[in-house]
Amino acid sequence: MIRPALLCIHTFVLALLISVASAASNPPRVQFNRDIRPIMSDTCFHCHGFDAKSRKAGLRLDRREDALQPTKHDLLPIVPGQPDDSEIIQRIMDVADPMPPIEMHKQLTLEQKELFRRWVAEGAVYEPHWAYAPLTRPPVPGKKKLNPIDAFIRAQLTAKKISPAPEADKAQLLRRLSLDLTGLPPTPAETAAFLADYSRTAYEKQVDRLLASPHHGERLAVWWLDVVRFSDTVGFHGDQNQRIFPYRDYVINAFNANKRFDEFTIEQLAGDLLPNPTIEQRVATGYNRLNMMTREGGAQSAEYIAKYGAERVRAVSTAWLGSTFGCAECHDHKFDPIKTRDFYELQSFFADIKQWGVYSDYDYTRNPELKGFTNDFPFPPEIEVASPYLAGRHQRTEAELTALITTMRQRAAEPTGATRYATWIDETRAYLDRVPSGWEPIKNATFEFRLRDKLIPAHPLKIEADGTLHLEKPLEFRESLRLIFRPDGGRVTAIKVEVLSEIVQNKNPVWRYPVAPLTVSASVQDAQGKTRNLKVVFAEASAKMPRFINGTEFHGIAAGWRLPTPAKKEILTGVWLLAEPLALASGESLLLTLAGEELPTVRLTTSHLGAPHPLEVASAATLAALTATTRNPTQENLLIDTWLMSTAADPAAFSRYHQTIAKLNELGGGKAMTMVTEAVAPLTVRVLPRGNWQDQSGPVVLPATPSFLPGRRESTTTQRLTRLDLAQWIVSPDNPITARAVTNRLWAMYFGTGLSAAVDDLGSQGELPSHPELLDWLASEFRDGGWDLRHLIRLIVTSATYRQSSEFRPELRETDPANRLLAAQNPRRLEAEFVRDNALFIAGSLDLRDIGGPSAKPYQPAGYYTAIQFPDRDYLVSDADAQWRRGVYSHWQRTFLHPMLANFDAPARDECAAQRTTSNTPQQALTLLNDPTFVESARLFAARILAEGGKNDTTRLRLAFQAALARSPKSAELKSLKNFLNTQRLTYRAAPAEAEKLVRIGLAPPSLGDPTELAAWTTVARVLLNSQEVITRY
Amino acid sequence: MPPFDPIQHALSVNRRTFLTQSAYGLGGIALALLQNKLTAATGGALAPSALPPGWSGHLREAHLPIRAKRVIYLCMAGGPSQFETFDWKPQLKALDGQLFPASFTQGQQIAQLQNSVLKARGPFTNFQRHGRAGIEISDLFPHIASVADDLCVIRSMQTEQINHDTAHAFMNTGSIIKGRPSMGSWLLYGLGAETQELPGFIVLNSQGKYGLQPISARQWSSGILPSRFQGIQFQARGDAVHYVGNPDGVCQSTQRQVIDEIRNLNNSLAEQTHDPEIATRIAQYELAFKMQSSVPELTNFKNEPAAMLDLYGIKEPGDGSFASNCLLARRLAERGVRMIQLYHRAWDHHSDLEPGMKTAAKDVDQATAALIKDLKQRGMLEDSLILWGGEFGRTPMGQGTGRDHHILGFSVFMAGGGVKAGTVYGSTDELGYRALENPVNVHDLHATMLALMGVDHRRLNSKYQGLDVRLTGIAGEVVKGLMA
Repeated sequence: MIRPALLCIHTFVLALLISVASAASNPPRVQFNRDIRPIMSDTCFHCHGFDAKSRKAGLRLDRREDALQPTKHDLLPIVPGQPDDSEIIQRIMDVADPMPPIEMHKQLTLEQKELFRRWVAEGAVYEPHWAYAPLTRPPVPGKKKLNPIDAFIRAQLTAKKISPAPEADKAQLLRRLSLDLTGLPPTPAETAAFLADYSRTAYEKQVDRLLASPHHGERLAVWWLDVVRFSDTVGFHGDQNQRIFPYRDYVINAFNANKRFDEFTIEQLAGDLLPNPTIEQRVATGYNRLNMMTREGGAQSAEYIAKYGAERVRAVSTAWLGSTFGCAECHDHKFDPIKTRDFYELQSFFADIKQWGVYSDYDYTRNPELKGFTNDFPFPPEIEVASPYLAGRHQRTEAELTALITTMRQRAAEPTGATRYATWIDETRAYLDRVPSGWEPIKNATFEFRLRDKLIPAHPLKIEADGTLHLEKPLEFRESLRLIFRPDGGRVTAIKVEVLSEIVQNKNPVWRYPVAPLTVSASVQDAQGKTRNLKVVFAEASAKMPRFINGTEFHGIAAGWRLPTPAKKEILTGVWLLAEPLALASGESLLLTLAGEELPTVRLTTSHLGAPHPLEVASAATLAALTATTRNPTQENLLIDTWLMSTAADPAAFSRYHQTIAKLNELGGGKAMTMVTEAVAPLTVRVLPRGNWQDQSGPVVLPATPSFLPGRRESTTTQRLTRLDLAQWIVSPDNPITARAVTNRLWAMYFGTGLSAAVDDLGSQGELPSHPELLDWLASEFRDGGWDLRHLIRLIVTSATYRQSSEFRPELRETDPANRLLAAQNPRRLEAEFVRDNALFIAGSLDLRDIGGPSAKPYQPAGYYTAIQFPDRDYLVSDADAQWRRGVYSHWQRTFLHPMLANFDAPARDECAAQRTTSNTPQQALTLLNDPTFVESARLFAARILAEGGKNDTTRLRLAFQAALARSPKSAELKSLKNFLNTQRLTYRAAPAEAEKLVRIGLAPPSLGDPTELAAWTTVARVLLNSQEVITRY
Repeated sequence: MPPFDPIQHALSVNRRTFLTQSAYGLGGIALALLQNKLTAATGGALAPSALPPGWSGHLREAHLPIRAKRVIYLCMAGGPSQFETFDWKPQLKALDGQLFPASFTQGQQIAQLQNSVLKARGPFTNFQRHGRAGIEISDLFPHIASVADDLCVIRSMQTEQINHDTAHAFMNTGSIIKGRPSMGSWLLYGLGAETQELPGFIVLNSQGKYGLQPISARQWSSGILPSRFQGIQFQARGDAVHYVGNPDGVCQSTQRQVIDEIRNLNNSLAEQTHDPEIATRIAQYELAFKMQSSVPELTNFKNEPAAMLDLYGIKEPGDGSFASNCLLARRLAERGVRMIQLYHRAWDHHSDLEPGMKTAAKDVDQATAALIKDLKQRGMLEDSLILWGGEFGRTPMGQGTGRDHHILGFSVFMAGGGVKAGTVYGSTDELGYRALENPVNVHDLHATMLALMGVDHRRLNSKYQGLDVRLTGIAGEVVKGLMA
């Protein structure tokens, strides 16, 4: 048994020695893809490549058949086997007149020249570019038992006589795996459980657990959302909000359900074209709408349609084809076989997407369908979909409301309440004797007109006995009508405006388009003429046009009532409920201010009565209940409610009731709007010469897949291909590049670098993969194994290669400085979102209650949006319900990305970003040190350490290390931090006021206990949260 | 190893080709070659003294004589009218209110005047000749007129983008494709900064009363370059630089102790992992701490004499006005910041041209001139390059009470380092519609600015998506006529 094994090793070493020796004396054959193409691409193709227009001397070097043909000057560029007769060899060797020319600043080295010479001598064998070549599964080298990834990686390491690194420390491994699969670190309990699990499948169990976690989908979404340029704002000019978060929910859910990647692709590109598309499939088509959009005044529709089209080509080609089509907008690609025609043919797949060049209706660029749009409007087409996040809150809020109403009603049963209730009924019956409808017309009113605040000469106005106001001409922009009067008994709870006349269609200049809406505001004027404003708690109308503020629809009409157009026959009614039922003192009057260019003939009435909903004030049911001699339970409840709302008998409950109603309104019934793709008759797409949208001389093109990739599909005159055809081709077995591109990007997530490092360009200017066979094997496994992303991830994270220690190996500094052979793991700084998630998770404040939902707004320096206009922008920091959500849900403002995200290299997502840079800057240090998000995390972490860390400093520091780093402190660290802690204690005991300030940073309620102790520990927590180890996954 | 860095990509191609898989194998010669290759690529072999003074970026040598060391770009956002600033058109005045000749406008791009009757709008101001060369400057700018001998006025600027957003992108990056680095990033990438305690590329904003248009952080983005080359925006409110102030309840000495303790932890980690990023991280914390004191020192104008505040016309130091920002710009220039960009958002006068121009001119005239004078008296004008101008100009045709966007001819001026002072370059036709003589497009302007900084724009490249991307884009010729 022993001998053969020894012999075997012996033979192996011998074989190695032989191969090394032969390598030294007799170098291996030159390979085109590995050795020649990169040089040619860098130095030759610019003038002698695919682009016919920039080709010089009629010489083309990218194709062998061309390179063997005589040039214009009758020279033979390449004579296989005869370097001395080959013109290119002559020219690159020519000292006086070398190729490439000196002015290109791209001289070949002696060694590169020698490679060229040898390649020609060896027969000038070309190879197809690796990424475009058909994809076949290479055999796995070596022993069958190994994870195939390890087999490929080990084969190269063995050939280079490098041993792999040992497996990472167990605790570190779990931290790595957790951060990689969920973007969250392990809890101390999870680490402890893993350390105590000695079973052979201990690690695999953790992999299963983490892959099954709903946070796995959130982690992968960060990866995907960069590629699809997901953002909350449109990007151009006013950078208005767009409504799209359900698409992000779709992505997260797709990853959590491990949706097949081919389906995932088809749904996003063409879900709307599937037979009977589901809501989910339509939501997925939000992808096509994530290009930047404009509604800048003066923008020309055709120009922006061209911009949107070009961007879609860049987006889809980077995301799915790993190719850079961008240059081909203006000219044939210089280095890759991408022709201008390919660019426009790919673009024409998307020509059916319903869109506008300019998302508004300016008088110089009409878009009738967008009539009335302002800068606050959304970006159609959109659909309304259920949002589990909103629905859950809606349900809870409704339950709160029901509970609140029940409690409020109990008031009427209490002795004092019952008396007041009975009195109110008597008073109200008397009121109805005077005012049978419950609505009293304004009486004895004086009035005045103002322009802004300035008194202006009164317009002719007649006030009829029924409260009708006859205005001879509508109010002008910024004009208002003030009516001063004293209602019955000096009391008012509700104000009603009924629109009697046809609505005036005002013509207005573009900058204040559309007309100002109808507004009603109320105040009290005393005998001296001094006024105090009254708040309106809720106002609603029987019908209205939607109004928006920065893409969010207003609920009710308190902020303005846009009358519906075209005018309807029925009388429109709007009712305003005061925040507090009003009782005027003697000498006081009610002052109502009406404004709005739409103000036509209206009837104005007020009421003593209130109601839960504005439009229910003095309803027929209410009046019936009030006048009934006996009341059934429903009537009784209605009356109690009316009493409560008319008198605010319980002011606290009254205000809580309306707060709850307002919250409920914001939740939109648990539904949300989201942008989708709607197919319409396709626009004509032409090749635009030099990308110039005004030049209509180029040929019209029809959809076709890229000419340089296998399995080309082209439209015919009778059958136009669609986005669905494109999507199906992308995920067809014909197409070799998508599987390679996606697999390569996936690999980069777990190793820091792709197998081909330029993950956004697999073209000839990119990089030949470090392990081409491995990439092809993984890509085949992906494409031919059911596009199973999770299977691929599992293969990667269970490999020994992944599990290696990430300690830097100084002995490999020379031979493999970039660690491309993967004789160790690579440390990886966390992406921006996870830098924040991690800190919050360690602090115990990360909000993991919901998966999905609208974007949240973490703390951000005030005034950061000052330069955003149309509309002006305020950043409203999320309240406690959404402040500590994960980074994947952070509001993404393209023109001014959140500084924390920007500082940690998150892309603005103006366009597809397949790769984030990783920088190391003072801005990052400042963010971790001083951003309230991180300071608040530190103080909450401190509170957690004090609460959970046992009785003394040592046990507490141990917990702190376990929570933050999943390891115990080294003794030196422990000693140093104890000293530090004691210093901080002295500091803060001497300055308790400073301690108070520090432990109150952020929205979270201050923790209990001695603030000076908490401040000292907060400072320790700041140190830990700022350490390189916390923000890096090792 | 840190994850893939596109800048290092070229280097990794070398590693790949010459080491791990190459036909060279692993022979000693190849290794030696590799060493040379690596040192050449990283510049490690060059002694710092071989670098041009003050340079610490990716360029190892000046391609051209260095005439300017820093750029101060006074960006008049919104697009000021050339007809009320630097381009005197008596014939346009004569044509005021009449139909604008269609021969000029046929088939040309137009913004908000799409589908309108085009009528000429004469300038509402008068012009006088100023300085030795008698440069015509509008009466709205008496202070700028007083430094006419320092100006090089370009009357023949042209751009390609007619809407604010894309025009700003084009003026700053030379492209409207997102992800292209801005000019400040080119300079920081190529030359580095002379300061270690402040960001090397700083952006200041102010705004006027009328004609405001939004701007975007992508105008100072580093795009495909690593984020350390991006512009850092100074804020008018709160901390001048985001997160530069200590948290409430943390004094400077505590902050120092925190940073020391972070270093202790990081050092302990470095001993174990040998991760080279850690040393960089420690250095960045030191830099951050320095910025925490250097930024407040910078923005504190206490030691500026009253006469200096008067020169700039500053009402309240640090009030976020353009005047205050100009003085801040001088202080930044003194401290070795490479690129200083001031936006003044006030120039989009589709309507109310007259009050709009008058107000905006008042905002910037005195301070602009003061900056030039102040730099000059300190001997810094000769190596500071000042650019003043908008993202485009305005139509000779009226739009209501204003003017629309215009791209075929507009005016900007340069001053300082290496610029031909006291001259006018280029001209437009008699109605100011189109640049006729010596048109200067945005790429030419970029090329010329870089040339004045000692850089051949054709040789300022970075690897991106596998391509050797010329940072300034593929076009552009140096305009010799602008250079002294």
